[in-house]
Amino acid sequence: MPRYVIERTFPTGLGIPATPAGAADCRNVVDRNAEEGVTWLQSYVSANDKATFCVYEAPSPEAIRRAAARNGLPVDRITQVRVLDPHFDG
Amino acid sequence: MRDAAQRPVSDALAELLERAAGFDALCESLESVRRSGKGRVVLVGGEAGVGKTALLRWFCRERGGSAPILWGGCDPLFTPRPLGPLLAVAEEAGGPLEELVTNGAMPHELAAALVRQLSAHPGTVFVLEDVHWADEATLDVLKLLARRVAAVPVLVVASFRDDELDPGHPLRRVLGELATSATVRRLKLDRLSPAAVARLAQPTGVDPDELYRKTAGNPFFVVEALAAGVDEIPETVRDAVLARVARLSTAARSLLEAVALVPPQAELWLLDALAENVGCLQECLASGMLAADPSGVAFRHELARLAVEESVAPNRRVGLHRAALAALSNPASGEPDLARLAHHAEAARDADAVLRFAPGAAARAASLGAYREAAAQYARALRFGHRLSPRERADLLELRAGACYVTDEYDQGIAALREALECRTAQGDRLREGDVLRRLSDFLWCPGRTAESERRAREAVALLETLPAGSELAMAYANLASNCLAAQRSEEAAGWAARALELGDRLEDTEISVHALATLGVATLGAGGIVRLEQSLEIARRDGLAEQVARAYVLLAETAVIARRHAAASNYLEAGIGYCSERGLDLFLFYLLAFRARLQLDQGRWADAADSASAVLRVQRTSITPRIVSLVVLGLVRARRGDPGQWEPLDEAWRLAEPTGELTRLGPVAVARAEAAWLEGERNAVEAATEAALSLAVERNSRMLVGELAEWRRRAGLDEEAPEGAAEPYALELAGDWARAADAWAAIGCPYEAALALAAADDEKALRRSLAELQRLGARPAAAIVARRLRERGVRGLPRGPRAATRENPAGLTARQLEVLELLAEGLTNSQIADRLVVSQRTVDHHVATTLRKLAVRTRAEASARAVRLGLAGQDR
Repeated sequence: MPRYVIERTFPTGLGIPATPAGAADCRNVVDRNAEEGVTWLQSYVSANDKATFCVYEAPSPEAIRRAAARNGLPVDRITQVRVLDPHFDG
Repeated sequence: MRDAAQRPVSDALAELLERAAGFDALCESLESVRRSGKGRVVLVGGEAGVGKTALLRWFCRERGGSAPILWGGCDPLFTPRPLGPLLAVAEEAGGPLEELVTNGAMPHELAAALVRQLSAHPGTVFVLEDVHWADEATLDVLKLLARRVAAVPVLVVASFRDDELDPGHPLRRVLGELATSATVRRLKLDRLSPAAVARLAQPTGVDPDELYRKTAGNPFFVVEALAAGVDEIPETVRDAVLARVARLSTAARSLLEAVALVPPQAELWLLDALAENVGCLQECLASGMLAADPSGVAFRHELARLAVEESVAPNRRVGLHRAALAALSNPASGEPDLARLAHHAEAARDADAVLRFAPGAAARAASLGAYREAAAQYARALRFGHRLSPRERADLLELRAGACYVTDEYDQGIAALREALECRTAQGDRLREGDVLRRLSDFLWCPGRTAESERRAREAVALLETLPAGSELAMAYANLASNCLAAQRSEEAAGWAARALELGDRLEDTEISVHALATLGVATLGAGGIVRLEQSLEIARRDGLAEQVARAYVLLAETAVIARRHAAASNYLEAGIGYCSERGLDLFLFYLLAFRARLQLDQGRWADAADSASAVLRVQRTSITPRIVSLVVLGLVRARRGDPGQWEPLDEAWRLAEPTGELTRLGPVAVARAEAAWLEGERNAVEAATEAALSLAVERNSRMLVGELAEWRRRAGLDEEAPEGAAEPYALELAGDWARAADAWAAIGCPYEAALALAAADDEKALRRSLAELQRLGARPAAAIVARRLRERGVRGLPRGPRAATRENPAGLTARQLEVLELLAEGLTNSQIADRLVVSQRTVDHHVATTLRKLAVRTRAEASARAVRLGLAGQDR
């Protein structure tokens, strides 16, 4: 399945606390993603909490946007990516 | 040898191990149907022998006391009886449904009757078993029922072997269509775990690891392996079944073989005719190999029947088929079943019998809407048709082609028609030869073989004009007219259509006249064409000419979408989709769904457009036009959003459209490719993408395409004189009047086009409006282009983009719902919100409920948390 990086901006900062409530929020996101065949692999969050870079596997960019809409998450840009490992054997 | 009687675990229990989750899912679905009154479909998939039937029987038995059950099983015949499964259901249900099935109604009538039947008995469980074997008419009924299921309080359960569906399997189309429906749930049954196999093996002393290794946990195989009662675990299912059979007496084995040869089940009178030792039936039933059903006896499982059938010696097999043929020709009651007779005739290699029964079986199948089965029965007759005269052979070939047309098997239909053409030529029947040429032309057009299609169309007209004028010639004119229309040679199309119309009227053949009138309408759009088109729809409706009604809707919708008459397009699409969907006119339906995707794109509803286009693309059909339209929509949505993967659909669309040489097909693809190239800043690519299409559009005087193509070239900075004849509002843009062009686009209801028109402004205010609108639409690449223009003019401090809340309109909330959410997050109660917004509390209750549902949260607290995260409500951090 293709892999994508999704850039999102949260003008007032990302509000996922490291609490059971925050964990439940993440699980909800995962569940609703699954309904679109979308898998959230990992995210990188900027130091000021206002931008995230999420690595996803998804069948199409449209599936990512549908999942985002279900989760009420913004999408700035979707880029299809592949992995380049600095320690690959050449 | 072990004693099978020691097996303490019954077959039935074995088949239900590890099925609790599936059972619960079915119960949950039925509960939801009862609670909400809204129907659901559950698709139960799994390999052969995994226990689908066992699960469904268990569910119906447990729930059976409280819910009415309708159960239909599909026959494992190569060419199944049309509507076979529904015969049993109709018998069970009785009333109007039974009447319709016995009188040979079409699938859409049956679906409507089923809906009425099921609405009258809320909470019914409607089971269709083994739909991978279903005939086409049954699949149509399932599909039509599923489309309306939300409005019917029924639980539809369909089981199928998910590992046996090759890419062209007709069930795939149905599954593809159901894939995204919220009312459809999929249930996948897996094989048994090693632990479950061990539990079954434990009392018998069989090595559980070995049993698991050989059976891979297939429940049927496990049961048979244990029941075989031999020391060595059999290597295959077949060996296991045959080992079990070997334990029976010789007479019982011979009876079992007779039953195996007459699927789906052996009626007792039939069995009497086939076997001498019917007295052994009890032994077969007691062994668990056979089960009694109301109409006779049948194998407990199709896998076992197959194994036994294959083990019968070839000469005995032919003998049994001959006996079955003789017995079924003269059944104990009712009419002879032609599909069954044709099956046994072929298996008995009795050519005369095949030719006697297969064409009749085909005609019956076609009359019930089971065109795939009809095509297969005609093919069966043709396999034995070497003794037929050229005329008889050609008749069958043409009938087969007709069935292939409906089932989307164009290659086979074309092959049949080519052969029919040879037969007609050899036979010297010029009239039929001309008619076959016309039909060949029609067949060749759909998959895009336009050059040959047109050549055949002209040959047909030339040949038939040498004969006295009849309906064949009128249809040849009508066909050539629609051929010219697709190439946008409007004048020529109008000329041929007028001849077809005149002749059709003279012959009082309404179908031809309506077809020609619709074509004439599109060919004369500038001169009262719409009125003609509307008229053709009206006449077709009046006379119940379903295909002509559907064709008129397609043409009306297409012309309205192209001309950006959104309100009219929307009306035609809605009415046409309803009409075609209800009647199973799927070819026309796909055109309409594709045009709806295009309309949504033009209206700026990109998420909807992408969904609609994807729904069309999921279903593989030979007809390329709906696919091209949908690929263009999907490619443009991605390109406009700046999402990846825009070129794959646009490249595929071009590969399909370009070889047709037809402007209607290739023009919109060229426009889309130009836009995608422009958004990437590849100006030379814009020129390359539009060059050929623009000169063709100018030549054919296709004003909308001239405007679109020329405008993209202007946007790409090509310094050339704009061609004559561009349609409004493109003409305004080409003339540099961006302000009026933008107003015109806005008035038409095309927000993206309006913003792009403003992007050509040399005025900071207009450019800022353009930028804001593009940002609102989520048109990132176009917004970036406009922002760059503004910065080049020295403008600083541009907004980076709208706030997240307004960009995608999170969770699809309306402005009012967002307002309500904000107030709710402030901790206001519904009545306080009602006061604040000056609306009734009922309205607020409604908005709150809808908002919670859209956000997929249960409580107000969760909704508040979401509002904070979305930046809709204040927070302290």
